Amino acid sequence: MTGHTHTNQLRERMLDRRSLLRAAAGLGGLAATSSALMACTPGSSTSQQPLKPQPSPTASGSITLWMRNDDLLKVFKTVIPAFNKVYPKITVDMVGLDIDTKLPPTLISGTAVPDGSFYEDVNIVGQADHLYDLSTLMKPHLSDTVQFKLDVNTIDGKLVGIPWDTDPGLLYYREDILSRAGVDPDSLTSYDLLLDAADKIKSKNPKAKPIPLEQDSNLGLQWLMMLVNQQQGSGLVDGEGKLTIDTPATRNALTWIKQVADHGLGARTKFASTGQIAMLDNDTISLVPWAIWFDFLPQSGLKKSVGKWRVTQLPAWKEGGARSGVMGGSSFVIPLKAKNPELAWLFYEFALYNKIGYSTVYGPNKTYANGLNTSLPSVKAALNGPALFKPVSQLGNQDLWPVDTKAALAIPPGYRIPPWFNQAANYLGVNMQKMIDGSMSVDDVISKSTEQIQKNLVDRQR
Amino acid sequence: MTALAGSRTGLRRATTTRRRLPRQWWAGYLLILPFFVLFAAFGAYPLIFAIQLSFTDWHGSGTLHWIGLSNYTYLLTNSDFWGSLLNSGAVWLLIVPVQTVLAIAVAAALSRSGRWYAKVLRTVTILPYVTPVAAMAQAFILLFDTNFGVTNYILAAVGLPKIGWLTTTFWSKPTIALFILWKSSGFALIIMLAAVQQISREVYEAAAIDGAGPLRTFFSITVPLVRRATAFFVVVSTLGISQMFVEPYILTKGGPYTSSQTSGLYLYNHIGASDLGTGAANSFLLVILVLILSLVSVRLLRSEE
Repeated sequence: MTGHTHTNQLRERMLDRRSLLRAAAGLGGLAATSSALMACTPGSSTSQQPLKPQPSPTASGSITLWMRNDDLLKVFKTVIPAFNKVYPKITVDMVGLDIDTKLPPTLISGTAVPDGSFYEDVNIVGQADHLYDLSTLMKPHLSDTVQFKLDVNTIDGKLVGIPWDTDPGLLYYREDILSRAGVDPDSLTSYDLLLDAADKIKSKNPKAKPIPLEQDSNLGLQWLMMLVNQQQGSGLVDGEGKLTIDTPATRNALTWIKQVADHGLGARTKFASTGQIAMLDNDTISLVPWAIWFDFLPQSGLKKSVGKWRVTQLPAWKEGGARSGVMGGSSFVIPLKAKNPELAWLFYEFALYNKIGYSTVYGPNKTYANGLNTSLPSVKAALNGPALFKPVSQLGNQDLWPVDTKAALAIPPGYRIPPWFNQAANYLGVNMQKMIDGSMSVDDVISKSTEQIQKNLVDRQR
Repeated sequence: MTALAGSRTGLRRATTTRRRLPRQWWAGYLLILPFFVLFAAFGAYPLIFAIQLSFTDWHGSGTLHWIGLSNYTYLLTNSDFWGSLLNSGAVWLLIVPVQTVLAIAVAAALSRSGRWYAKVLRTVTILPYVTPVAAMAQAFILLFDTNFGVTNYILAAVGLPKIGWLTTTFWSKPTIALFILWKSSGFALIIMLAAVQQISREVYEAAAIDGAGPLRTFFSITVPLVRRATAFFVVVSTLGISQMFVEPYILTKGGPYTSSQTSGLYLYNHIGASDLGTGAANSFLLVILVLILSLVSVRLLRSEE
């Protein structure tokens, strides 16, 4: 009995000791794991070291650059051999991937960060704290860069993106339909005249709805901002981040859009959808005030109307006013945690600001036989220079270069992209759709959107 | 002597075992350590960090700034948040009851039919489930395009007006529900087929002897006996619909306006805009809601049992 009790006591003591050991081991393991994980906790900031790019040919090392995984990757890869002639000791590994999905988490976690990356202008502001301020490096190129691209890439006084492409607004039209309706495209100098032209086209063909009214609220918002930027420079916000929605420019743009809808002149479609392609081909749509990149549709998506499309300047909102606005664009960024930021800068400087670089990107190549014509460089020397891309048969062999570059140089300065731009589509974008469908007035759209964006987006930013 | 030697050997063995015990104990923990490390890194830590995030206004850069319950109160007083839940609820109502009943009925018919076409039908029903959703959605968009879709072409042929299947607030949710029914009914059928095939033939024979017709047999035998599978399917469907993102994203992007913005899509919009604090709070509110709904579903089906 005594022996049995003793054994029990021994077991209990052993169990106690075992439990204690287990608990200690558990706590120790947890602490070790926690500290290991806390070491890579997001939510900390990295300070910037000044960048000092080495002059050629001493610069050496390897860089990983991220690029959107499409034809642009192929195009930019063709720059590497020319770059290596100037910088022979730099190895460039250009990787194609889904930038929008991969870059933000990589920048936040700080692991496997590339030395540089392509990034759409609309997304840069959200990651600005993770990017190098390139103001000093860009100094020699500032005067040679279109101003609105510098404005877009300047966040809290820091220039965080190297401007790449400019996407000006243009007016695409069907030459045959305008000719039949007796409309001279050169006469379309104001938005009222554009409305009159649409009326004339409709009088010849009652089924026509000449002007597309975008159904996607995000793209619709971008389109509205192009029309607003054309008039007031700013879009949703000014340089201080104050909302610029309740302005005459927004009112003008929305009023005109509503007129298009109310007069039955607007085709409700989504950009590049099957429905829109059919409408572009079957003469329903014939006047398209849109970004430069609309021209990829005649070059790849359309069938019946190929060769019948032409392009001219956007109309102006008032006499002597700007005849273009911004709709899209992208730049290159260098993350603070890049291993070789200086070398990445050298590549981007070469590709974007060196004549050989930008001519290689925009000129005829294996990917684009006539050159890349869905956007333009942001470098004034390139825009004012000889044509980089050739005319294309799908747009009637029209010389696009003078029309496009004139528009690019006409984009007013002052455009800023707030970090919540995409979310604003849920308010201003949606309200604009409601207005087009007849359930909201212009005043309602402006007042409600201003209130919603202020409350849900502006006030909720740090 | 032999007995004594035996007891000594036993004692030695016991002592050895006791001496070895701590080493074995550590060895055990060492073996399960990889799991715990992986679980801590990819399970527990992200969860704890997400909870922490939900109380901050973090947008992906800088230090975390504690804002208390602000994200939760913002969401709970936001009409868009409730709207997204209502949209998901409407899609659930349009899908789950119909799909469940249909799946049981088709499973019962297929399992009892010895005809050659039964196997073909099974394959045909499962085919959309194994086809990539993006490809299915593109085909669906072509079928239901307002101006050029086959569906409206057929309606026009019989003198009916065109319908904006994916472009009007009234039709966007039913059309998305129809797409999901088409896409996922194969999964429902697999589950119900497995459940129905578990029912003993003798039960059906007894019912037949008692004079039960096909309808009576279906509602009094088949449906009650597949209740566990039904509960499982309802819970899985509820989870799926509460997180549903791809289908509305491809078909309507949540539009027109926000009429088809489901809770999963609304959550994605926060995260996509780097509003990670609100996104995390939204996730936890959804977790709580789904947990409650799942418990209610299971409870209801169990109580009837």
